[in-house]
Amino acid sequence: MHGPIGEVIQFIDLNAYTIAFLFLVGFIGGLVSGFIGSGGAFVLTPGMMSLGVPGTVAVASNMCHKFPKALVGAIKRYKYGQVDIKLGLIMGVFAEIGVQAGIMVQKRILDTWGQAGSNLYVSLIFVLVLVTVGSFVMRDAMRMKRSRTETDSGPNIAKRLQQIELWPMIEVRAANLRISMWFLIPVALATGMLAATIAVGGFIGVPGLMYIVGVTSIVASATELVVAFVMGLGGTLVWAYYGMVDIRLVLIILAGSLFGVQLGAIGTTYVKEYMIKYVMATIMLIVAVSRFLALPRYLNELHLIVIDDFLVGIMNKMSFGIMCLALLIGASIILTSLFKARRLERAATGLA
Amino acid sequence: MQNQTAAHCPSRPEPAREHEPAYIMAVTRNGHMSEHVMEYAASVAQRLGYAILAVHIDTLPLFNRGQRSRLFAAAMQESAAQLAAKARHRGVALEHLAEFGKIGDVVGRLCRGKKRIEFVVIDKGIRLEEAVRLAPVPVFPVTTDQQGLFGKTLFPTTTTKGVFAMSTSSKQRYVQRCVLFGALTAALYAAVFAYQDLVMTYFSKGGVYAVLPVATVFAVSYFHGNFTSSFWSALGIEASRKSGAQPVVPAKQVTGSTVKAPRPDTRPRLRLNA
Repeated sequence: MHGPIGEVIQFIDLNAYTIAFLFLVGFIGGLVSGFIGSGGAFVLTPGMMSLGVPGTVAVASNMCHKFPKALVGAIKRYKYGQVDIKLGLIMGVFAEIGVQAGIMVQKRILDTWGQAGSNLYVSLIFVLVLVTVGSFVMRDAMRMKRSRTETDSGPNIAKRLQQIELWPMIEVRAANLRISMWFLIPVALATGMLAATIAVGGFIGVPGLMYIVGVTSIVASATELVVAFVMGLGGTLVWAYYGMVDIRLVLIILAGSLFGVQLGAIGTTYVKEYMIKYVMATIMLIVAVSRFLALPRYLNELHLIVIDDFLVGIMNKMSFGIMCLALLIGASIILTSLFKARRLERAATGLA
Repeated sequence: MQNQTAAHCPSRPEPAREHEPAYIMAVTRNGHMSEHVMEYAASVAQRLGYAILAVHIDTLPLFNRGQRSRLFAAAMQESAAQLAAKARHRGVALEHLAEFGKIGDVVGRLCRGKKRIEFVVIDKGIRLEEAVRLAPVPVFPVTTDQQGLFGKTLFPTTTTKGVFAMSTSSKQRYVQRCVLFGALTAALYAAVFAYQDLVMTYFSKGGVYAVLPVATVFAVSYFHGNFTSSFWSALGIEASRKSGAQPVVPAKQVTGSTVKAPRPDTRPRLRLNA
């Protein structure tokens, strides 16, 4: 069952540039994941492909690096009391179902409209989800920053949903709330479907946890790591079954990303609640711009519009560049706020 | 008590006496003084305007060829620094002494020494009878409901990690862990990359061999995860100590300790033994 595919795929040779690139992207991606619960993965797949790694191997290796990273991040943040394991596992299981559903949808689209159609669908979903959710999160972060309410009592929708007693009720100890499982399932399914489509389920998972389940952004981003672990492990087992995982790439990315994820997790203990939302929304919106620039290429391929190939090439490059920029900006916001808060705290304890 | 102090007075210069008002002596025989003893001493000293004399008594100086003493000294430094921070926070003067010998003897000697000690608070692990044997002042055991859990490890949390254990400074431990796990990670990576071709052949075979890459990354997440964790800690980059940033469990503990620290006076008074 694994013979033919295993023989066709080509694993690339590693050189200093490849290693440095993967390590660095791994580190920055890890930093962002440790902080907002996901991210980084969306740059790695196209990044690896630009190094000459075949698409499936890139996706498989990306998936395989994601779950150990999420595991390490989740353990770290569990020590800070930010993770609700039960919530994470339940979400993870349903997200896994969502992933399978997402793959089926993808397949259907691939069969109907071909590769370009599938790419267009992925990009459209990217732009649509990131713009709507991203701007919502951004608005909320701004509001929180202005009102300076650190302990937000939770959004209205979540509060109303929590009052509905529908068996089975799930107790979320880390966030001190009870909610019916029936409201968790759609969030989890959407997370899984998004993960299968754009590789980053957290862009739905974390806002879903915050605004529908009603946990704080810190608990949401920490619990998302558990979800990512479950989804990643499931996905990796499937990919590894087909022999698609390039363990060397995975190890190099992990070498960097575990440094990052630890630092990102440490960062969450210093910053205020809105900061997580702020970083997340910033990354989402910039990535949306990046994916928007990728749209013309697929439209062109489908002969829906006609644009000069040269222009398409430039836009494509810009798209990838902006995606990297999104990560870099996110990482620099995290690092700056981490070290600033740390310096302030040190000064305060020094004076006291 | 007052007689003794008076007897020592003439030999002492006046300004020094102003700097040394009355003392509360906090005695422990553990490397780390209990959190609640420190809290109690600091809050009572603040209320009464006393100073604190913290005494760590090494009761087994020769145990294990001095190994225990070295650990004790390291733990004591950490503990003293913690108490100093608490005292500074409350604006209470603090003196710290490292002693060894029998607790009763040390307490008796110090009380009759140059300090004006008003009363003594003792940490867990010290028998009241032993402490009061030669003490001319009241001795109060500062206990909490946690004291019953003698044989058990008191739940180590991020804020109290190592406080109840007689451990060496955490930074040194992080460096050791960093080296250990760094070496293990390096070995694992070296093994994979040295036998790249062999590894790639088997790891990409698929089927049952899928276990190989998954097991490898689990190993990496353990070794490298521990390495990176202690790496940042060794560099001094650790989680915020403010409990405000930690939304969940710590809130409970903070209230717990602040409620316990200024404990009702009734219990110690019952055991008054002057």
